[in-house]
Amino acid sequence: MTFDFVEPVVFALLSIGVIAGGVAVVMLSRITAAALLMAFTFLCMAGMFVLLGAETIAAFQVLIYVGAITVLILYGVMFTKFGDRPRALFFQRQTPLAAVFVAAVAIPVAIVALSFTSAPPRPGGGDLIALATSVFTDFAFPFEIASVLLLAAMVGAIVLTKRDDPEEAALRRRP
Amino acid sequence: MPVGPFGIDPVIWAPLRLVIAVGLALFLVLNGALLQIYLERKIQAIIQDRLGPYHVGPFGLLQTFADALKLISKEDVRAQATDGWFFVAAPALVFCPMLASWVVLPFAQDIVGANLNIGLLYLTTLGSMTVLGIVIAGWASNQLISYEIPQILALVSVVLVVGSLSMIDITRSQAGPFVNVLILPFSFVIYFIAALAETNRTPFDLPEAESELVAGWLTEYSGMRWGTMLALSEYGNVTVVCAIVTTLWFGGWQGPGVEAIPLLGVLWFTLKVYAFILVMMWIRATLPRLRIDQLMSFCWKGLIPMALVNIAVVAVLALAFPTTKIPVAIASWVLLVIFVTGIPIVQRQRLRTLRARARAATAPAVRAAS
Repeated sequence: MTFDFVEPVVFALLSIGVIAGGVAVVMLSRITAAALLMAFTFLCMAGMFVLLGAETIAAFQVLIYVGAITVLILYGVMFTKFGDRPRALFFQRQTPLAAVFVAAVAIPVAIVALSFTSAPPRPGGGDLIALATSVFTDFAFPFEIASVLLLAAMVGAIVLTKRDDPEEAALRRRP
Repeated sequence: MPVGPFGIDPVIWAPLRLVIAVGLALFLVLNGALLQIYLERKIQAIIQDRLGPYHVGPFGLLQTFADALKLISKEDVRAQATDGWFFVAAPALVFCPMLASWVVLPFAQDIVGANLNIGLLYLTTLGSMTVLGIVIAGWASNQLISYEIPQILALVSVVLVVGSLSMIDITRSQAGPFVNVLILPFSFVIYFIAALAETNRTPFDLPEAESELVAGWLTEYSGMRWGTMLALSEYGNVTVVCAIVTTLWFGGWQGPGVEAIPLLGVLWFTLKVYAFILVMMWIRATLPRLRIDQLMSFCWKGLIPMALVNIAVVAVLALAFPTTKIPVAIASWVLLVIFVTGIPIVQRQRLRTLRARARAATAPAVRAAS
């Protein structure tokens, strides 16, 4: 008896989780539930990475997407006083158009994905040193660009939220 | 047929090991929480010159068991305005990451659920997942997110010196009396302060504030849902944090006689962890709660800059002197002294400017009245 069957089963469960979670995020009208299901989708993605042997990527996936981005979105949802709204967002009315776009992307992806016949590569993602070396040598420039972009976004967010507060301005004018 | 540990077929041993690990972790979390609640009550009672629990069992030892039974048998109250599934899911979302983080805690030489080579990253990840549950359960302040930053920054300096993220390797690197706290005392202090905030312990227990908010974000919960959220998860997290402190800065399971009897490591590890839990309780009984603006300004203006300076200094010195740790140790102690002596001076300065501003603000009003 071996446990070879475990990996396909886990993969199937995770892919069901990713796809069902993703579909639910788009279809649900309750925005808090959508946010939580997005976290679930990200967790399943992290499981996929673990299955591929890339534990480091999985850890960062959970750390950034579940721990930071989903929490941020939940805060955003809670602070904007919109409750669960009916399905009246304008892009939800254009199902045929959406179907065309999805098909245009999904069919080539499916064809490419099904044409892979070789065994999946084993990156050994737990190897932090290799990952760090490649990020800070080969990919140093894209890495820095991404950092600058994030910094610009952060400064922009602060500027946008901090503008035109009369009380604040009055305080600043006083010596 | 290959034979694994204890003469069990490895094919059976792999899942069995998992079951044993989860069962053991659950057992430890449940009993650790009971013990820690008892300790918390007794120690606070001693510090405040009271008796504490003493009716149920000898020295009141069974008091927490009685409380747990009461919680389990309580009616499951659910307020009407709560958000169905979220209300049910939140305790699980807080509890599960905490339980999962026990996997990488090294209790002794070979007694560890999994020797992940990214153990520390894994723990950080699970810590950030807990926030999700708390946000869903109620409106946690963003204290949790802010204090994660100095916490992770403090961990980085240890990783820089040791050169590994594995909890086992970090423990092994501290053989002998020169544990990491002697080399990196400053990052230990930063981590411990941030960890107090991360686990909602006094003086940073603003989301809870039992005396004012009756445990704010938990008010709607009752019975065992409340028990899982507060008692199990909070004390479980406290244990995890103290275990991280023990492993990273105080040599983990290592202690006298461990080479001869490896199981003695469990005893040393537990003793060290509970020593830090006692320190946390001592702090709780001693210090008053901070105000939210003090809390945030201390984090963003005090802890994070100092943690960044610490990382920069440790990284440069670790690169410049790869063979010896003495320069890192000297620099870290100097930083610690600057930090400890700097806080009162900066605070006095701040207080002076605040008072001056308040006086300037009231002066025209006083003049108009007279």
